Amino acid sequence: MKIERLLSTPKLIQATPSIDQFFERSALISPKPMKIFYGETYDDKGNTIDSMKYYLFVSLLADALKEKGVKVDSSILIADSAACRNVGPENEKLYMSLGNSRCDFVHRVNETYGTKLNVTRMSEYINSPEFIQKRAGVIEVCNNDPNLMIAVEKTVPESKIDIERNKGFLYSFDEIASIIDLDIKVGPPREDLYDNVARIIAKQRGDKGIMSLFLSPTFPLGMGWAYFFANEGIEDHGITAYKAGSKRLQRNRIIVGTSNPDYINDLINTSFISKNPDLPNPVLDIGIICEMARKKLNNDQSPLTLAEEFYQGDISCDQLKTKVAFDVNEFILSKF
Amino acid sequence: MAETDRSELRKAAEQSFIEKKQILADQINYYPNKIKEKGFKTINRFRDYYPESNRLMDLGVVFAQEDLESVAEAMQDKTPWAVVSGLNPSGPLHFGHKIIFDNLLWLQKQGADIYIPITNDETYVVDKAKSLGESRRIAYEEVIPSIIAMGFDPKKTHIFVDSDYPQIYNLAMKFSKHLSNNKINGVFGFGNKRKEDGDDLKEEKENPGTYFYRGAIQQAQILLPQIKEFGGPKPTIIPVGIDQYPYILLARDVAEKAKLIPPAALFLTFADGLDGKGKMSASRRESAIFLNDEPQVAAKKIKTAYTGGSVSAEFQREHGGVPEICPIYQLRTYNFEKDKHVAEDCKNGQILCGDCKRITIEQVIDFLVEHQAKLPEARDRINEFLLTTPITSHLD
Repeated sequence: MKIERLLSTPKLIQATPSIDQFFERSALISPKPMKIFYGETYDDKGNTIDSMKYYLFVSLLADALKEKGVKVDSSILIADSAACRNVGPENEKLYMSLGNSRCDFVHRVNETYGTKLNVTRMSEYINSPEFIQKRAGVIEVCNNDPNLMIAVEKTVPESKIDIERNKGFLYSFDEIASIIDLDIKVGPPREDLYDNVARIIAKQRGDKGIMSLFLSPTFPLGMGWAYFFANEGIEDHGITAYKAGSKRLQRNRIIVGTSNPDYINDLINTSFISKNPDLPNPVLDIGIICEMARKKLNNDQSPLTLAEEFYQGDISCDQLKTKVAFDVNEFILSKF
Repeated sequence: MAETDRSELRKAAEQSFIEKKQILADQINYYPNKIKEKGFKTINRFRDYYPESNRLMDLGVVFAQEDLESVAEAMQDKTPWAVVSGLNPSGPLHFGHKIIFDNLLWLQKQGADIYIPITNDETYVVDKAKSLGESRRIAYEEVIPSIIAMGFDPKKTHIFVDSDYPQIYNLAMKFSKHLSNNKINGVFGFGNKRKEDGDDLKEEKENPGTYFYRGAIQQAQILLPQIKEFGGPKPTIIPVGIDQYPYILLARDVAEKAKLIPPAALFLTFADGLDGKGKMSASRRESAIFLNDEPQVAAKKIKTAYTGGSVSAEFQREHGGVPEICPIYQLRTYNFEKDKHVAEDCKNGQILCGDCKRITIEQVIDFLVEHQAKLPEARDRINEFLLTTPITSHLD
């Protein structure tokens, strides 16, 4: 797929570096490959279809860059150590094991869709001398700059600020240190908070900073208009793609390998969707994930067009729901 | 026309156009500033999400809301919710009232139970009627039949005249303990000269009746749909002009203390008077077309009405009019026509005031004739709409 088309896919890309910026970075680091990265934690509710949005996109992005002669190293980080941080020592073993499951899931995606993603676990490097030194450097820079520390505090949800302060904001520093040397970081828009701190530190050091590429937010299925109207925060930021239990909405998510197809059908049919492109469209979001999956399965290089077709009126709301209910089973759920 | 006369006319037209543009410039930020000042939300998100359109929201007549989120789920799931919209029976209804009732009709179609307190007690204590008897008479002879004739569903419309529904006073006594004198004085400025929105400083004519009305009866009216006799706590919307916001604040306060659901608010703009001297008002007969006006009376008011147009037809064809400040434009679009073409035709100079008024006269007369023809039957049906449910839960 042409990179120009991929990066301009409506309702998939929220914000992206320009194509020129991609090539400038490639030239700067040549002959080293460009590091494209997506990282996620997880919970105990299963593997979401929404995580696949990121896996599939990273793979498509890598393909598109390779097509232009850019060397790429695309990886998925399973942040198992971070996932274990707030679950208490009694649950640590369970959560480390869940990290195995998540890694297995990415490997299955690789096998099924040919995504060729490298999979790393945070636990593999977080206690290494190199990482500890890198993180210490980040902490030192932030401690010496009150404005940077304010920015670090902003990466923590208000409800957890006291907990994290007591822990020395280690969660945030782990994240920042993990991403500071990357080239392209793919993630949900709220991760801009971490990315900015990493960029500022890199700039102070005279290093190349990470470039952020944000995909569209994830929304719960099966909710009516009243839910989105009454929850402006969800409308703006969505829910956490990689945690099925985000906002306790696991019953409104598609859990790959677990969710019953009839149940998913109901969720899709009862979802609020609108022809207004400014409003959330959780069904379209799933549809785009299915479209990426289909293209990878069929090695189809043509652009992603579902969003355009829907908003231009080629597909009605009912037709979209029917199509997505079929596609999600055909191209994703039946493979797991 | 002599050249000098033509030139004078053009100058007058230019001057008038500049003045009207200035009026628009002054007005255009009035409601957005109020939204910002009071911390309300615009109605835009609701319009984006709600599947049915509302002409008055599209026109900006219903322009803001507070806490409509609390009612959204009930609207979506068709569980019980209510609207309370009171009316002061100081005289016959006019087209300014009609807009309020058009909005209530829309809310009823979306599933709301509509409660309409006819506040003849307030009318009396604030000196808008000579006696309770007079305000009561106006309620039954003019106001209630007019409301019924607009097409409300009797099963979902609950009208009561305060003096004939003394239960409301029992409820008011119950709720009065949730408010303090300080709070009421602070909100309504009793005992002090106070400034009302858009009006000059005036001294409140106080008496125990005004105090009890504003401090307690109003809260009882607003929260009535939520008492046990009417199904218990439920989401409620109160459509009001922005000057009525203090009542909403007090009601929300009382609701929380009484373990009821704080009511949400929809805010409506005021209709402009035909005389161009402020909002449409029953106290300025020439400013309003009353629903009991004879057609020829209505026609005369429209013919002599202030407009956003020009004194010179030639100038208006070149430069267009200013529909946003025109009471005739409002009369047409708030009541009869949905399309934007009315404004566009005016601004493009494609229609002059004379033609616009001719169209409006026809629309208004058609409405008045049809409305007035329904009144006899409406008077016979009053009992279908009257709320008579006894209240005993105030003793709980």
